[in-house]
Amino acid sequence: MIPITKRLVEFILFLFLLSFISFILIKLAPGDPVKRMLQVDEVSVTKEQIEALREELKFHEPVYIQYWHWLKRFFQFDLGNSYITKQPVLSELLSRFPATLMLTCASLIVMILISVPLGILSALYKNTWVDHLSRLFALVGSSIPSFWLGLLLIEWFSIKLGILPSMGKGTVKHIILPSLTLGIAMSAVYVRLLRSSLLESWNEDYVKAARARGIKERRIFLSHVFRRALIPVVTIFGMSLGSLISGTVVVEVLFSYPGIGKMVVDAMIRRDYPVIQGYVLFITILIIIINIFVDICCRCLNPEIRLKGVEKR
Amino acid sequence: MKIMKQNNVMRSRTVPFLLLFAYLLAIVTAPLFAPYDLFEIDLNGRLLKPSAEHLFGTDHLGRDLLSRILAGGQVTVGTGLLVLIIVLLIGVPLGMASGFIGGRFDRYLMRIIDAFLAFPDFIIAIILNGILGPGMWNLIVAIVVAKWGSYARLVRSTVLSEKEKDYILMAVVNGLSTFQIIRKHLLPHVMGNALVLATLDLGKIILLIASLSYIGLGAQPPTPEWGAMLNESTPYFHSSPHLMVIPGIAIMSTVLVSNLVGDALRDRLDVKA
Amino acid sequence: MSLLTIRHLDISFRDKPIVRNINFTVRQGEWLTLIGESGSGKSITASAIGGLLPKEMRITAGRILFGNKDLTCLSNKEYRKIRGKEISYVFQDYQNSLTPFMKIGKQMDEMIQAHCSFNKKERREIALQALEDVQLPAKRVYDSYPFQLSGGQLQRASIAMAVMLNPKLLIADEPTTALDSITAAHVLEVIANIQASINCAILFITHDLRQARKYSDTIAVMKQGEIVEIGTKENIIYHPCHPYTKQLWNAVPLIRRSSSAKETDLILK
Repeated sequence: MIPITKRLVEFILFLFLLSFISFILIKLAPGDPVKRMLQVDEVSVTKEQIEALREELKFHEPVYIQYWHWLKRFFQFDLGNSYITKQPVLSELLSRFPATLMLTCASLIVMILISVPLGILSALYKNTWVDHLSRLFALVGSSIPSFWLGLLLIEWFSIKLGILPSMGKGTVKHIILPSLTLGIAMSAVYVRLLRSSLLESWNEDYVKAARARGIKERRIFLSHVFRRALIPVVTIFGMSLGSLISGTVVVEVLFSYPGIGKMVVDAMIRRDYPVIQGYVLFITILIIIINIFVDICCRCLNPEIRLKGVEKR
Repeated sequence: MKIMKQNNVMRSRTVPFLLLFAYLLAIVTAPLFAPYDLFEIDLNGRLLKPSAEHLFGTDHLGRDLLSRILAGGQVTVGTGLLVLIIVLLIGVPLGMASGFIGGRFDRYLMRIIDAFLAFPDFIIAIILNGILGPGMWNLIVAIVVAKWGSYARLVRSTVLSEKEKDYILMAVVNGLSTFQIIRKHLLPHVMGNALVLATLDLGKIILLIASLSYIGLGAQPPTPEWGAMLNESTPYFHSSPHLMVIPGIAIMSTVLVSNLVGDALRDRLDVKA
Repeated sequence: MSLLTIRHLDISFRDKPIVRNINFTVRQGEWLTLIGESGSGKSITASAIGGLLPKEMRITAGRILFGNKDLTCLSNKEYRKIRGKEISYVFQDYQNSLTPFMKIGKQMDEMIQAHCSFNKKERREIALQALEDVQLPAKRVYDSYPFQLSGGQLQRASIAMAVMLNPKLLIADEPTTALDSITAAHVLEVIANIQASINCAILFITHDLRQARKYSDTIAVMKQGEIVEIGTKENIIYHPCHPYTKQLWNAVPLIRRSSSAKETDLILK
């Protein structure tokens, strides 16, 4: 368990560093936040008002002191309030996160449902029309902008056929198009990856040895080949869970889906810095958790790492 | 059947390069052929369907779509190439320095890069662009910051693995100066790997530019960027589908060509990127 | 009673013939060594017997008669039933003969299940007994992963699996080439003991003449895809006919024993 705790400590240090960097960046960013906060209500602002607010927010103090204040509040789970809505950032994040989580899970399901069968089939029927089709699918899928795919899907299913809603959230129907968009875009990569991983596993010597022992082909495929093929897929999958998260940002904006992705983009356009910073921290923590989780999965799948602590291949 | 297989376009090695050449040629020269001014607004001729006069139709402000698409090619692809050049200018020297100097400089740099690479590049780009504010230059900075790390790392590992090889030792024994060794022996390897990564990345960078512009962070109107154009004309898609289809196809085909070129280059150089 | 008869066997790699006109017979309980340098086609011939040729290689002529069955006419399904139960293999690469992420016991269990219908307890008994028969700590090996065992142990475990179901023919494809000489000697002893106890025939492939000399009944010499000479051990060793066979013997460095030796050794020329 020691390597995990070591990584955890590293990550926590990283988190602090990142919070500091994003804090500095925001301070350096162009524009005057104080003015903007007051101008939200479109009332003309006096110089005294600006100065008063600045004093109140302690913006006149040196940056590291401000960071210290921020840090104190951070440990009290206070991430500040949105400039625009004046609501606590943390509560907004938490209230909108479940929606993003649902979208991510649904996209994952779509991705698995598409790429696993297609990957297996194109490995089994190498160089036949199935294989060529999956190659075409992968090529097009990785070249298509996800938001454009979403637009096309909206055009067909939402507008022409009118069977699926194109925005908002609420029922299962609302999730279908966004998760299809994300899922299809991501599965393009995995189909080929799974295929090549399977083909490589199939050529391993121990598969031939298993055949020499008289084991049934289907059993060889399931227990020996597929299991081995999963290892690189899971590794890469872990790395691209990050892509999935970033994908949700664009998709949420496109479908006006009220998750944290849309929230932060709105904040960016409106220069609502506390929200942006809260999002940065949130995502960082999320990615750290994901990395640890993927690490654990790899250990489980590969007993060599588990027992020896070191990977042979 | 055998002959047909050998002529299979998808496996051809030269076709992608020809396509790329044709593409780049079109992008560079096309605006010269653009029939209309890019920014000329003609509120009488809004949302026209494709016709002889306007080959791609017009957008919601009456601007000729064909001209904008052609110009958009320069914007999107040009920005992408610019990003790549800057990334290479930053990443390659840093990576080489790291590989050569080693020691604490190397370790710290790698730590920083590892931290960067833990994040998906898209997120870094979005957040940076968001913090800096909308605009093309901010977008360029954001993407450069997101991408430079993988190049530095690749270059560093190339340097480290080549440094130990015998032909470098021979060069040292033969009396070449460090600079000459770098230039003649290491640089080809390094640039080879870096260029393969760059061509594979070009497609992703173009998608990044288009996506960030689509959500409003990158290119701002009236800049004719393909993603931004899709954003602008969203309310009009239903009545004028050409406004959605054409820029999208432009993006997709560009990324497709660059992906094919990247694959072909990788196969040709047989590099494990 | 001949167990395995190969007649006029030809094998091609994508229309290019690589093994030509192979003829030999293995009787029950006999030890036949197939000897030759790398690339002579020994492993390919051995793979062909078990139907394990890779996709690009095909048997283009000849027959492989096992008992009264012609193996060249068998379907995949029928072949599968024979492999592991009547014809077994031991390979050179012991690291990669067993699936790395499955425990050895599980793989043995799987093999028994593929051929017989014993219950769980019986399968475990059979597996443990097989491991003991090759002088391995049965319970420990049963619960280990392949990477937890040494080379010699792994190879012995592979042998245990190969003979677990009392095959009639054991094909050992250079089983000791990747082992150090002491471990190799042990492994060979194990194989010899097994042959004595279950009276299986052994098709032994090697490039090491010393091993051939110690253990065979019959020796067949292969060169470039053909058998150049075949005969009893005595004939091949002491009265070689074919110039290639003579060449092989001349190339072997042998340590001459001291004068108190009882065996007569070939003198290094």
